[in-house]
Amino acid sequence: MNKILFFAHLRDAVGEESIMMDAKGKTIADLKQMVLETYKSVNLENVMTAINEEFASDEDIIHEGNEIAFIPPVSGG
Amino acid sequence: MDERYSRQTLFSPIGKAGQEKIRSKHVLMIGAGALGSGNAEILTRAGVGKLTIVDRDYVEASNLQRQQLYTERDVEEKLPKAAGAEKRLRKINSDVEIEAFITDATPEKLEELVQGVDLIIDATDNFETRMAINDVSQKYQIPWIYGACVGSFGMSLTIIPGKTPCLNCILKKIPIQGMTCDTGGIIAPTVQMVISHQAAEALKILVEDWEAVRTSFISFDLWRNQYTSMKVSKAKDAGCLSCGENRTYPYLDSENMTKSTVLCGRDTVQIRPPERQNIQLNDLSQQLKELGYKVKGNPYLLSVEIDEQRLVIFNDGRALIHGTKDLTQAKTIYQRLLG
Repeated sequence: MNKILFFAHLRDAVGEESIMMDAKGKTIADLKQMVLETYKSVNLENVMTAINEEFASDEDIIHEGNEIAFIPPVSGG
Repeated sequence: MDERYSRQTLFSPIGKAGQEKIRSKHVLMIGAGALGSGNAEILTRAGVGKLTIVDRDYVEASNLQRQQLYTERDVEEKLPKAAGAEKRLRKINSDVEIEAFITDATPEKLEELVQGVDLIIDATDNFETRMAINDVSQKYQIPWIYGACVGSFGMSLTIIPGKTPCLNCILKKIPIQGMTCDTGGIIAPTVQMVISHQAAEALKILVEDWEAVRTSFISFDLWRNQYTSMKVSKAKDAGCLSCGENRTYPYLDSENMTKSTVLCGRDTVQIRPPERQNIQLNDLSQQLKELGYKVKGNPYLLSVEIDEQRLVIFNDGRALIHGTKDLTQAKTIYQRLLG
């Protein structure tokens, strides 16, 4: 299983700080699709993704137990 | 002078040698809103040699809750932020050379302003300017510090050309529909936390303590008690157009900038983003209504009243700003609401 963490307005859209999903062997792009199927109002188009607190791209493969974080870039200043 | 900076020179990573370095450096601050105010005050008090501040906006009542350099008087006078900041900073520390520009930080202006600058601090409210700062930083080999916040959520990243990945390596394109302070609100502690991260990094860079510079992307939510630090060294992309082997500095090219044009014979400015967007008008309408804006709409467009102007936004990102002929004012309104 994998723990998926949501930050800022993504957390509000999902309604939880984190969820558990089995994403072993999938890519980050696959995982985004899986999340979108369950939570239709989440916009993951521009988000940054971390696997175990390390930057990950859409093609990176998720392993058993990896923790994934979706972090939306914000622009206010 | 010794007494004035004694508590900072007693801090051993700075010391007397560090203080002399701080004194010899020139920092460019892009933006004089919340992040700009706080960062500028810290660096002015720290005794930086020269501080250049650029901002296109003026002080409004809704700024006072978090933009620490401004007063009610500045609001009454509709004082440009750059001028208000300059006035206040000169009173804080007359040792520091303060230079202020009331202007839009366009790519051309940035290229002109970075000459002789040791560090750029991002205190803007939009990604278009940040990507231009990112390109200018790579072109002239000047470090810069990204900072941004909305609500209780904030983030920062330090970019050292030739060493760390750049913002374009990480984001790949300009994210649109980023929440802004005008749509998602903001609390002052979030601002201060981002300022703390940026200003600490600034001091490290000014004293040339490169080993101490943070190489991770930090983000936090002060209300939800979430903190994360993401290692980004892997993000460095040899094919990046801003910092890679065949770099073109795409965001210094005016073709890739938001286009704004005054519409002939009408008191209206049209804004067109560089790429076609797909804006969820329903979501945006809901957000703006919650903030008390008067919003009307249909499936194709939204009409929002903002003071004396009216913004009409289409779902491809194009907008008409009625009630002005001022391109900068129109762009400010647009980026405030749409990031």
